[in-house]
Amino acid sequence: MAVEGAIDLEGRGRVAVTPWWERHLAWLLVSPTLALFVVFAVVPAFTTISYAFSRVSMVRGGIQREFIGFENFARAVADPLVAQSAWTTIRWMFIVTTVEVALGLALALLLSSGIRGRGAFSSLLIVPIIMPPVAVSVAWFFMYDYEFGIFNYLLNQAGMPSVRWLSDPAIALYAMMAVDVWQATPFAFLLLYAALLSLPRDPYEAASIDGAGRWHVFRTVTLPLLRPVLLVVILLRLIDAARIFDKIFVMTRGGPGSSAYTASITIYIEGFTKFDFGYASALSFLFQLSLVAAATFYVKRVLADYAQPAES
Amino acid sequence: MVGESRWDRFWKYFLIAAVSLLVLLPVYWMANMSFKGRSEFVARPPTIVVQNPTLENYYDLLVTQRFYRYGINSLIVALIAATISVAVGTLAAYALSRYRLPRNFNYHLLFTMLTVRMFPPIVTVIPIFVMYNQPIFGFRLLDTRFGLGLVDAFMELPFVIWMMIGFFREIPRDMEEAGLVDGDSRFGVLRKIAIPLAAPGLAATFILVFIASWNEFLLALVLTQTRAQTLPIAVAGQITQFDIKYGNMMAAGVITTVPVLILALLAQRHLTRGLAVGGVTG
Repeated sequence: MAVEGAIDLEGRGRVAVTPWWERHLAWLLVSPTLALFVVFAVVPAFTTISYAFSRVSMVRGGIQREFIGFENFARAVADPLVAQSAWTTIRWMFIVTTVEVALGLALALLLSSGIRGRGAFSSLLIVPIIMPPVAVSVAWFFMYDYEFGIFNYLLNQAGMPSVRWLSDPAIALYAMMAVDVWQATPFAFLLLYAALLSLPRDPYEAASIDGAGRWHVFRTVTLPLLRPVLLVVILLRLIDAARIFDKIFVMTRGGPGSSAYTASITIYIEGFTKFDFGYASALSFLFQLSLVAAATFYVKRVLADYAQPAES
Repeated sequence: MVGESRWDRFWKYFLIAAVSLLVLLPVYWMANMSFKGRSEFVARPPTIVVQNPTLENYYDLLVTQRFYRYGINSLIVALIAATISVAVGTLAAYALSRYRLPRNFNYHLLFTMLTVRMFPPIVTVIPIFVMYNQPIFGFRLLDTRFGLGLVDAFMELPFVIWMMIGFFREIPRDMEEAGLVDGDSRFGVLRKIAIPLAAPGLAATFILVFIASWNEFLLALVLTQTRAQTLPIAVAGQITQFDIKYGNMMAAGVITTVPVLILALLAQRHLTRGLAVGGVTG
């Protein structure tokens, strides 16, 4: 990656008089980052891999480890809960991302078609994005309450029976998806809206001279121009959705039963309620591996034309 | 738009109003309920605007349950995280935007940082828990504010680096070169010219990292127990299997949200850019 106007490290003749820390300033500046990276990413990666092949037990004053080969992985493959939580995570990722990006795009189009109070509306939409997920979760938890919640109250007013929003296994996951949609649609909206505003005007003028209809303009002009940003927004939402933990954990602890276990929740339960670090590490490793595979696929195939290093 | 009818306009504004209402409803409802006393809380139909506002939920939470302790923990953790992350990340970002390190190192480091941003925290939290659970130089970092702040700082580091590279790129290079010609050292240029010029960006980045750390849930859940427990964990603790005190829960949600709203207002101008770099969400 070429850095625009980079200072020549060799420094042309000044080298002899400058002290060592001036000459190696660039390395000194990145070294704290590298140190943190080693402590919190490299070392944990090795620990995870070694635990994944071990039976790990907590003993007084530390950890006892015994090599057991692929036993943890064999167990993971046979564990129906693992398959189920993988499937739940995939469903969560795709449903939530699709709805959020579609709604965000629709809102962005609506707003960019000229409306008064755009600024106020955009500011308002920042509120869900930056709100603590826990606060969002308790607010919705209460609205979903069977007895005192506002949703059931409104349903009853309309003559319909109350719904067990968070305790019916057929509904709970989707009810929690709605919470995520509420919080993250504004994120998709703001990025897409900013992108829409910066699109060139010429193609639109050409299209309007040609007398193209709105839908046609959207399909042939807006969508292709927006594609790179759209793909990045989808990627960011997928990454974020894959790690879903807090909302589900706060509202139902992965329940009812284990119906809303996602990858993160299953690993948390194995690791920190059953304290089976070996098994949880094997699951972490598999989770990580599948994410890397998915990301590589996405970047190679979908982002291919956009994968130039974003900055310079 | 060409040929927009009145009917179109009506629908547009109607939709915008409906969406605004949907966005506001949960926030408003939480705040509204947090000021209701016990009898009004369960009233049917629910009062749309609180009729007899009371602070009893807040009193019970802050005084009886001593909730402020978690607030202080959250504040300190977020300050530690933002300070370390911004300090470390700014230095790296400066190096990456001004120097060309050998072996394409710039590219590799930026790419690695993106990968770090992609990792779900759950996959690193077990090794970090084990590492924190054993004494390092006689200190156990588990259940300490510093320990949690440090991990949060690392998690937000990619975000800081990408943000600050953007801000450093906007500084005209002539000014720094003038500094070098005037005989400043390269570090002096960074300290006296680049950082002051990037200060607004630095402040916005600091605020956004603070918010991210304040909101963070999973790491705080695992790496703190009692002494260093943060607000989000304490708020989640209000949901128990028996006797959920909804009033307290709503008040807790409000207390956790308000500081973030104030900070976001301060950093609003840079927020969209922050989002584009992939920060801030929960």
